[in-house]
Formats: sequence, structure tokens, C-alpha cells
Amino acid sequence: MSIEVRGLSFGYKDFRLSVERLRFESGQVTSIVGRNGAGKSTFLKCLAGVVPVPKQSLFLGGRDLSSLKAQERAKLVSYVPQEMTLALNYGILDFVLMGRAAFISPFSVPSREDLRAAGEALHFVGLEGFEKRDFSQLSSGERRLVLIARTLAQSAEVLLLDEPTTFLDPKHEVEVMGICRKLASEKDKTVVVTLHNLEMAVKYSDSMVFMKMGKVVASGKPNEVLDADLLEQVYDIPMKIVPFDGRNIILR
Amino acid sequence: MQNKKAKILTVLLFLLPFLLTLASLSIGRFHIPPKDLGRTIIQAISPTPGSEVPTAYRDILFRIRLPRLLLALMAGAALSVSGASLQALFKNPLVNEYILGISFGAAFGAALSIVFLGKNFPTQIAAFVFALSAVFAVLMISGRSESHTVSLLLTGVIISAFFQALLSLVEFFANPYALQALFFWLLGSLSLATWKDLSISLPIMAGGVVALILMRWRLNVLSLSEEEAKSMGVNVRREKLLVILLTSMITAAATAVAGVIGWIGLIVPHLVRMMVGADNRKVIPLSAALGASVLIIADDITRVAATFEIPIGILTSIIGIPFFIILLKRSRKVWL
Repeated sequence: MSIEVRGLSFGYKDFRLSVERLRFESGQVTSIVGRNGAGKSTFLKCLAGVVPVPKQSLFLGGRDLSSLKAQERAKLVSYVPQEMTLALNYGILDFVLMGRAAFISPFSVPSREDLRAAGEALHFVGLEGFEKRDFSQLSSGERRLVLIARTLAQSAEVLLLDEPTTFLDPKHEVEVMGICRKLASEKDKTVVVTLHNLEMAVKYSDSMVFMKMGKVVASGKPNEVLDADLLEQVYDIPMKIVPFDGRNIILR
Repeated sequence: MQNKKAKILTVLLFLLPFLLTLASLSIGRFHIPPKDLGRTIIQAISPTPGSEVPTAYRDILFRIRLPRLLLALMAGAALSVSGASLQALFKNPLVNEYILGISFGAAFGAALSIVFLGKNFPTQIAAFVFALSAVFAVLMISGRSESHTVSLLLTGVIISAFFQALLSLVEFFANPYALQALFFWLLGSLSLATWKDLSISLPIMAGGVVALILMRWRLNVLSLSEEEAKSMGVNVRREKLLVILLTSMITAAATAVAGVIGWIGLIVPHLVRMMVGADNRKVIPLSAALGASVLIIADDITRVAATFEIPIGILTSIIGIPFFIILLKRSRKVWL
């Protein structure tokens, strides 16, 4: 399912996000990059519909996002926030099960089918056997994976992940990006991530979006759009792109 | 093995309030032997001539002990369930109806009703109105921000103090006769339970507790951040409001007849979490069972410990708080 942005404008008191035209395709991983405060997270929240988005500006497979009820929307779009704190120490399976909320009445409990979906999601991120553990026993890398599993349990077509690799060790970083890749190519999901690691973005995404001060300054395939001038414009420091071993290494 | 143990514990916890109710019927200043207890109950259900029991037994059981026990049972369940639900809803293990100002809001409302509208007007209405005013005042002053854990608690303390002051003002203006009734009721007492009060409060508490038990899994989802819950398809505003209405309703119904019984709503849900973990699918129903049991035991103690009756609200605080501190220190397992 594709997402289409048409003249999105959303803001707070001293910040405005405005995106003219942009498309996120299914089966692709799109990375949104830019400095802190460039509006990446706000953009993702708009796409997730967790902030009040203006009418006729975001379309999901042709349907206006703002016209969808929360429950309908959650079956199409899922979202992993950048930070999360848990007030109560839930078991892992119980936590992943929460992703099924859109399929369960407020006055009911998860069914066998929901349990199966949660188990499968844990399996997909490689955490089978973790069901009985508590959230507090996990490392931050494992927490990320559990969060992704919860999103998978939601079985939406679109997955939005806000800085899924921040604070992770290189191995977990690769693991998380590998899962994003697999979701796009094997399950034909529309995956949108915000990232700070540019090499990861170049290596794992089909398309990149560069943001600065609430605006999109460039977008396209990594190897076509990426150049030193653009990076300097986006990040305000000089950067160099060095080809190495068939890949582009970014030096700063 | 672990699983089996947990299952047995759960079943025992659910049976406990019923066993305690039966046992407590024979406990009191006037001892009724279990044999006679059984006969009195059977006689009441299907009277058969020839096996009559003393009428005193009937009066004590059905006019005094049964309403009182039912009130202990339901109020214990209601206050514990509302504490557990509020902790999940506010993502904060420290809140309960007491700390959020609901208890004293309800107490003020009920006192106002007793003094100015008379004893015949149902106190539950004013209790509910002011319980809601208190909790909404807390929410509006502490702000909508998620991270304002401290500001929520601070505002709760302030609003609670405000309603306590208003309550004192009502007491100040009450005539000596009404004041005496207010005094015992406010300290938390089940001894004033009459069928007339209960006929309103019991169904409200039962209804609210059942509704919150039905929402037990949803409370897991509501305990996530607002954005997460929203992204998962939850209408957070509407469901949050529903939980606040339900918890205020059952707290007001309990407070209107039993006074302010503090700390049950904080201690019981934590005891349950220490035993079975954080999942509200277990925590909410088990809080109901354990809360009911704890209040029945506390009431038994007030009835037999001394020749005069200690108000139960004082007892729950004096015994509950040290008990909680001991558990907190001993428990090595992380349950929060």
C-alpha cells in the first residue's frame, strides 16, 4: 500500500512541517534523514495519524488518512515511536499482544488467533523463546526488536519506525535494518524509517528523503541523489563521499 | 511447575473472599456456632417447621452482619480495582483514588449531602459529582503532558488537601448531631451499613467492577504512551474518560457509605503484581478478590479486637502501610 503526501502542512507554535509532494511505495524501505529538529519525527507522526493531520493531505492507497477511524487506520498503518517508557513491567508475549488492539474489542481479551499472530511476530524478529521473559530483563537492542514485533503483530501494510537503530550496537543495528529490508522485500510492506546513520540508510534503503527545517530538500534513490553538496546543505558540516569496496563511505 | 503453582494460587485467591464471608458471619461479639449458622441460613431460604433457630441469630445475621460483610466485600473489591485501573491508565504505579483526590472529593460531596440535604437523600449523587470534579481538576491543573508524573502527584495532593479543607468547613457548620455521624463515617467505618444505603451503592460498585474487569486487557494497551495507544487503534480520549468515570463512580459509591478507606487501592494491586506480574488480565480480577478479602479481614479485626470499634479506615492505614513497606523491602523480584 503506497502513501501519498499532497501539500501537507502541520506545525506547533515555533515549528512548521510542510511537504509538497512525496510518495512512499510498497515493497520499499524509505529512509528519512536530516539533522535533529529537522521534522523527521513530526513527519512520521503525521503519517502515523497520531497527531491531528489536516484533511486531503495524506493518502493511504488512495484513501484520505484524516477520514479514517483510529481502529481502521491502525489496521493499515503501524508506528514505533523513538522513545518508550513502560510504567509496568509486562511479559514479552503480553507486550507484543498489545499490537493486536485494533482487532480486539475494548471489553474483550485476545483470542487464540491474536496469540498466534504475536508468536509469529516474535519468531520473525528472531526472539522465539523470549515469551515468558519480562521487559525489564531485555537489553535495549532486544527491546527494539520486541517493539518491532509488536508492530508486526498489528499486521498493517505500512510500518513507520522512528530511529529504530539509535543506541544499538552494530550487530543489532544490522539486525534491525535487515528485518526492515525483509519486511519490504518478502512481505511487500511499505517501510519508512528515520535514521542518523547515513551508511545504513544508503545500504538498506530503496529511497531516501532529506529533510531540513521542516522541508524536504531532496528525495530519490540513494545512489542517484546522494552527493557531498547535498549532505553539507542538510547537515551544515562538510562531508565527503568515498567509494570503497563497491560502496559509498561517508566521511565527516 | 511454576505455571501450576500460579494457577493454584489464582484459584485460591478467587475462593478466598467467599470462604472469608462464610467464616466472618459467625465471628463477632455475639458468637454464632457454624452449625447454627448453617441452620439459620437454611431456615431463611426454606423455612421448615420443627427446626427453628433463635430469632436473635436471624436478626444478627441478616440485619447486621450480612449487609456489613457485603459492604466490606464490594468496597474492598471496588477500591482495589479502581486503584489498579488508575495505575495502568496514568502509567504510574503510585497513583490511586486517594492520591488523585477522588476519595476526598467524594467524601466532601457526601458530607455536603448529609448536612444540607439530609440523611434521606442519597449521598452517592453528590459524592460522584465531587469525585469527578476533583479528578478533572487534577487532570486540568497537572496538564496533558505525558511525562508529568511528579506534577500529577503534586496536583493530586493539593486538590486532596483542598477538598479536605472544604470537608472541615462542612463539619464546622454542621450541627453537633450531624457532626457525630459525619465523624465516624469519615474515618471509614462499615458499622453504619444498612440495607437502604447498600441498595444504591452495591449495584453501582458491582457494575463498575464488572465493567473494569471486562476492560482488563484494554488497560494494558491504555498503559502505553498516548501516541502508541493511538497508533494501535485505540480511541484514547474516549476510553480514558470511560475508565475515569467508572473508577470515580465506584469510589464515590464506596466512600458514600463506608467513608474514606485509604491505601487499599495502592497496596492490594501491588501485592497482586508481586504474585502474578504486571498483566492486567490477571491483576484486575485478582485485585478484586484480594481487596475484598483484605477488607473482610480488616473488618473482622475491628469487630473482635476491642470492646469498642476501631474505624476501619484507620486500621487499613496502620496495618497496610508497614505491611507494604516490608514487602517492598523483601521482594527481590522486579514487578514494576
